[in-house]
Amino acid sequence: MFNSFAHDLSLYGRLILMQIRAQAQYKLNLTLDIFCSFTVTVLEFIAMLLFFIAFPNVLGWNIGEVALLTSIISLCFGLAEMAGAGVENFAETISHGEFDRVLLRPVNVVIQVIGSDFRLRRMGRILQGLLGFGVALYLLPGLQWTIGKFLALALGIASGMLIFIAILFLGATICFWTIEATELINSLYYGARTMLGYPMTIYNRGLQGLFLFVVPVAFGSYLPTCYILGKTLPFDLPQGVVFASPFAACAFALIAGLIWSFGVRHYQSSGS
Amino acid sequence: MFHFYLAVARTTFRRQVIYRWANLAGLITNIFFGSIFSYVIIALYHVRPLVSGYSVLDTLRYTWLIQSMIMVVTQFSWVELMLTIRTGDVVSDLSKPCDFCWYWFSRELGRALYFLVYRGIPTYIAGALIFGLGIPGSWRSWLAWGLVLPLSVLLGIAYRFLYNIAAFWLIEARSLTTLAGVIPLLFSGSYIPIPLLPLWLRSLINWLPFNGFLNLPVQAVLGKLTGEMLWFESGIQLGWLVILVCLARTLTRAATGRVVVQGG
Repeated sequence: MFNSFAHDLSLYGRLILMQIRAQAQYKLNLTLDIFCSFTVTVLEFIAMLLFFIAFPNVLGWNIGEVALLTSIISLCFGLAEMAGAGVENFAETISHGEFDRVLLRPVNVVIQVIGSDFRLRRMGRILQGLLGFGVALYLLPGLQWTIGKFLALALGIASGMLIFIAILFLGATICFWTIEATELINSLYYGARTMLGYPMTIYNRGLQGLFLFVVPVAFGSYLPTCYILGKTLPFDLPQGVVFASPFAACAFALIAGLIWSFGVRHYQSSGS
Repeated sequence: MFHFYLAVARTTFRRQVIYRWANLAGLITNIFFGSIFSYVIIALYHVRPLVSGYSVLDTLRYTWLIQSMIMVVTQFSWVELMLTIRTGDVVSDLSKPCDFCWYWFSRELGRALYFLVYRGIPTYIAGALIFGLGIPGSWRSWLAWGLVLPLSVLLGIAYRFLYNIAAFWLIEARSLTTLAGVIPLLFSGSYIPIPLLPLWLRSLINWLPFNGFLNLPVQAVLGKLTGEMLWFESGIQLGWLVILVCLARTLTRAATGRVVVQGG
């Protein structure tokens, strides 16, 4: 069991390395792509900051606090987007009949799907997240850092990334039945990113509950941010909950994984 | 010849009608994002009742009108023309006995009309139902909108045409088109309502062609822009339209002079 896991991991490493090498061949193209995606995401970030010229705060959150929240979600999403590109493209894998070949190989299906693509050019959003993080720290000079806060941040970003990839797997599962409904999962994927870029208290309790207990993206960004800024958590959750983010992420990923394997078992090739 | 372009526009309209599920999914996306922005705006307005003459209801209406018109005027990233250049299919369009520019303009006009009917109106109705927006403006302001809208649509088409024909010179222009698609979103009011910006930034944006995409027609509907100011700003945008179309035609001529078709 452990052996096969180690084997899968090394295989994944090789697949990714291959992708990176291939993409690094076209240096000018790659630089241009990273620059463009960086600029696109920075423009979104600037637009968000511009709101704070007319309004001093949004439900008690000032510009620096929202910048911190937004950049953390950018990091979660950017990492997921870079590593999960193969899952994101799954509709194409299915429609080209490529998945039949994947099933024939004596290798873990998930490793093959997730290892089939790795987008270096999505570095742009991660760079924007880092830049935003720097801007937030500049705007929040009084912020005190502790080991606990660092830990909450690191766990949060890793968990957020895992949850976003799990959402992509849910979307990919739909492709076993139809490839026309992919945009619905996009609403959840991009929607969660946009929604959680703002303090969650602006939404009603139903939506807050959705992103905490059903699709727990808030564990990746909102809860750690509240913890770092010393704000109260929604639903009067105790502060210690922020360290449970890996459990929330793994539970969600596990459920997504079960749904995915149900889909794999019910996959019927187009047969042409 | 006019009949030919009319037929082209009608054909693209009818072709677009076929993609029912794609349109429904897109509609849901528009409504979803409109709702997120609305929650943000409602929360922001807790601390201030009025920003440069815009109440929370005005800003919500503004947001939903923008959300309804995005697909009509600009679209997020449009690469249809670029892809024909990359695959070489552009040759068959170039050899059609009509003007290449006007051919694409007619196609896109057909699509714009489609998105107005099947995307724009349903989006606004949804927003009006969820957030109790009602119908803004008066018959006068809707008349002004009707006059400005064709200008906006043509500006959007000319702009998209321009960044697509960059593919004649660049092999992989995809990421550049994404960037080109996002810039107008910032300056036309879809990322942040223009009236919420400080005065110096607004007066700068007024001179950009992107102002004519969405901000100008939406302000016209809301009745926030009337009389001389409306004429003045529409005049600027008409000037931009002339410039962009001339540029599109010149570049097309330059590009088609150097097209080399790979035989096969």
